[in-house]
Amino acid sequence: MKEHKIKLFLVDDDAMFLKLLELEFLQNADFEIETFPTGELCLNRLSQHPDVIILDYQLDGIDKNAMNGIQTLDKIKAVNPDIPVIMLSSQDKIEVAIDCMHHRAFDYVVKSETAFIRLRKIMTTIFQYKKMEKELKWYMERM
Amino acid sequence: MDVVRQESRYARSLIEASLDPLVTINIEGKITDMNAATANITGLTRAQLTGTDFFEYFTEPQKAREVYEKVFAKGSVADSPLTLRHKDGKLTDVLFNGSVYKDDKGKVLGVVIVARDVTQQKSSSQYARSLIEASLDPLFTINPAGKITDMNDASVNITGISRDKLIGTDFFNYFTDPEKAREGYQQVFAKGFVADYPLTIRDHKLTDVLFNGSVYKDERGNVLGIVVVARDITEQKRIETELTEAKVFAELATEIAEEAKRKAEEAMRTAEDAVKAKQQFLSNMSHEIRTPMNAIIGFTKVVLKTELSPKQKEYLNAIKISGDALIVLINDILDLAKVDAGKMSFEQTPFKMSMSISAMLHLFETKIQEKNILLIKEYDERIPNILVGDSVRLHQIILNLVSNAVKFTNEGHITVSARLLSEDAEKVTIEFRVKDTGIGIPDNKIDYIFENFQQATSNTARLYGGTGLGLAIVKKLVEAQGGVIKVESKVNEGSSFSFNLKFQKTKAEAETEPGVMTLDEESRHIRVLVVEDIALNQLLMKTLLDDFGFERDIASNGQIAVEKLRTKEYDIILMDLQMPVMNGFEATEYIRNTLNSKIPIIALTADVTTVDLAKCKAVGMNDYIAKPVDERLLYSKIVGLVKKTQPAAFPKEPVSTENRAMRCTDLDYLHQRTKSNPVVMMEMISLYLEQTPPLILAMKNGLEQKDWSTLHSAVHKMIPSFSIMGINVNFENMAKKVQEYAHTQQGSESISDMVMQLENVCNQACEELKEVFNVIKNKQ
Repeated sequence: MKEHKIKLFLVDDDAMFLKLLELEFLQNADFEIETFPTGELCLNRLSQHPDVIILDYQLDGIDKNAMNGIQTLDKIKAVNPDIPVIMLSSQDKIEVAIDCMHHRAFDYVVKSETAFIRLRKIMTTIFQYKKMEKELKWYMERM
Repeated sequence: MDVVRQESRYARSLIEASLDPLVTINIEGKITDMNAATANITGLTRAQLTGTDFFEYFTEPQKAREVYEKVFAKGSVADSPLTLRHKDGKLTDVLFNGSVYKDDKGKVLGVVIVARDVTQQKSSSQYARSLIEASLDPLFTINPAGKITDMNDASVNITGISRDKLIGTDFFNYFTDPEKAREGYQQVFAKGFVADYPLTIRDHKLTDVLFNGSVYKDERGNVLGIVVVARDITEQKRIETELTEAKVFAELATEIAEEAKRKAEEAMRTAEDAVKAKQQFLSNMSHEIRTPMNAIIGFTKVVLKTELSPKQKEYLNAIKISGDALIVLINDILDLAKVDAGKMSFEQTPFKMSMSISAMLHLFETKIQEKNILLIKEYDERIPNILVGDSVRLHQIILNLVSNAVKFTNEGHITVSARLLSEDAEKVTIEFRVKDTGIGIPDNKIDYIFENFQQATSNTARLYGGTGLGLAIVKKLVEAQGGVIKVESKVNEGSSFSFNLKFQKTKAEAETEPGVMTLDEESRHIRVLVVEDIALNQLLMKTLLDDFGFERDIASNGQIAVEKLRTKEYDIILMDLQMPVMNGFEATEYIRNTLNSKIPIIALTADVTTVDLAKCKAVGMNDYIAKPVDERLLYSKIVGLVKKTQPAAFPKEPVSTENRAMRCTDLDYLHQRTKSNPVVMMEMISLYLEQTPPLILAMKNGLEQKDWSTLHSAVHKMIPSFSIMGINVNFENMAKKVQEYAHTQQGSESISDMVMQLENVCNQACEELKEVFNVIKNKQ
């Protein structure tokens, strides 16, 4: 796990928040980060095998024709269902969160002062989970 | 012979001249001779008298005969009292003196009697007698043998025994103590008198007397007996008894008065104790209710964040709302108690009146929309922008009044107005009014509505809810600040509550609410020690801190916490106050004084009376959080305190306060986030400058064309930028409101006003940030 840097995709049409998030992660640990203002741009780079994608729910806020968060999520899962996607939204509506989870998001975080901490916690869980999966796979193969 | 005759004639004339009757009587008792006086007294002639029976002329012939016989027996008799009767009935008292006369041979011939007329004498004696009889004091004469010889009327009255029966009886027997009477009597003989010798007469009512006696003697000095005056002192005794009784009563009354005084003092002490007990009770109650409420509300919040079915969410929301309402009630009661105890303190800080009221009224917008009533705000533009006072208490007052107005109004409108009444160099007086078109208050109830736990009708609570404490608190809060609250109301037409308050004018700037603190690099790994004995609260704190991503340890009392502190390092301690073994105060004292640690300590208290907070500070705690713990408050307090104790990594850009005061932006947050890295800061600012103007445009267009979805997303995108650029949280809330309206597509009059305000503040922010951008750029 530790040999290569964790590759992180951040997708948000709010440039400010995107920048701030990138800043937080870079200060926090040695991540390899790519940021995208739209879902389309992100999908084009999936070949780079990101470890985690953090995706804004409302990507069609300004550009009405842009792909929205759920559509992007579906496309990502269609390409590679193993990439964990954490959804971000400024709405704390339960329907939004449920919607995300139904579309196989790993988790859902509301944009707030504590969002970054929550994201970090979730990522820790993701890697623990992945490690367990890997170990399980390893044992299964041996059996 | 002539000589003899002459002498005899002379003797005769002497006899005749005597005014006292002179009579000679022979042995048979017949009158033999008499003088002229005798004839006068009896009214008979000499011839008629001579030869008649002498005794016939007395009132008591038998007694006269006895005296006469006595003369013969003894040869003489002296001063024997008798009464002669005139033939016409007139009586003459006489003293009868007689002696026998004999012939030459010694043979008794008869008796010569001189009857001295004592009528005159008798009357003076009678006068003395009547004086004696008139006396109310019993008077007795007693002979040396102790027998009663005479007495007056008073004696008869007192003894209740007739005169005849008294005479000759033993004097001493009439007293309750005969021996004592005898002693007194003997004293009289020994000394010749006795004075004020107390005795009690044995009569039907036991008369107390003072016995005064003296002996009386005949002319020769022989003691004949004693005269006793027994003064009736019953009255005196009675008065004395009454006096004694009165004295006793007086003493008793004094005692009673002292008792009453003692009781009053005791009652006062009890009352004082009661006040203390009340304070203690409220404090305890507050604690006892808050502790479980902490778990209820806290966990409800935690559960609300998990995935739930709509029904579950609805139920949990109901729990949360009820819990919040209960906390409000407890706070209300505590407030009331504080005002009652004179412990309510009012802050004097500058604040923006207009904004403060607007922000507060936003709280009611959903409620007002639900009820389909209108909220009208009338704000006097002459009121100075910034005033000094207690904005929190003003909120509380208006909030209570508006919430009542909303509660009791089903159609029409609610008007909240602030009007400048007067203004001088130092202060302004503002009249606030909350007017509704609700159910109104009956005339006979209007006097009671400000009393604790009173509502206009007994049905009110059932129909509209509430505790009846709101107006009581409002009144106390207004009056404690020197204001007056008035109410006018008409049933079914509405009520109008108004109050005046004075505010100081100021040139100072209003403080903006402190923003929520955020983490920077160093404080990412915050190690928290939670000292809490109740398992539920431990779990809640664990959940919250895990959520924040902090490391945490739990100690279930102060003792364990101290042990943990010796072996491990922590950044901050959350300390419950009431715990077994070692409570929060003791633990803090130990940490500060024995471990000499300056580690930040936040008190977790369910008890927010002033007493406890002072105690927290006194033992060296840094801050406190009231249970139920507010998640955001907990977070910002932890981060704030941890950061404060860590030296700032980068000095902040010095900003002149003058400039800052005018600005709507505050780049503290950005400095923290970027660690004041100029390149990143410039990048962030340019992003904002790039992104914001199109958003403003989109927002305006959306509103104009009623394109709700465009309005919604534009404002939505705008929201995070407020906090990043340190723009007042009110604008962020305003944006959220606009977003909400846009979402529900409900146009409101206030929405265009809010959009305009947002536009203004964003434009201002852009201007300011361009300036900052250039400043940073020039430094490069």
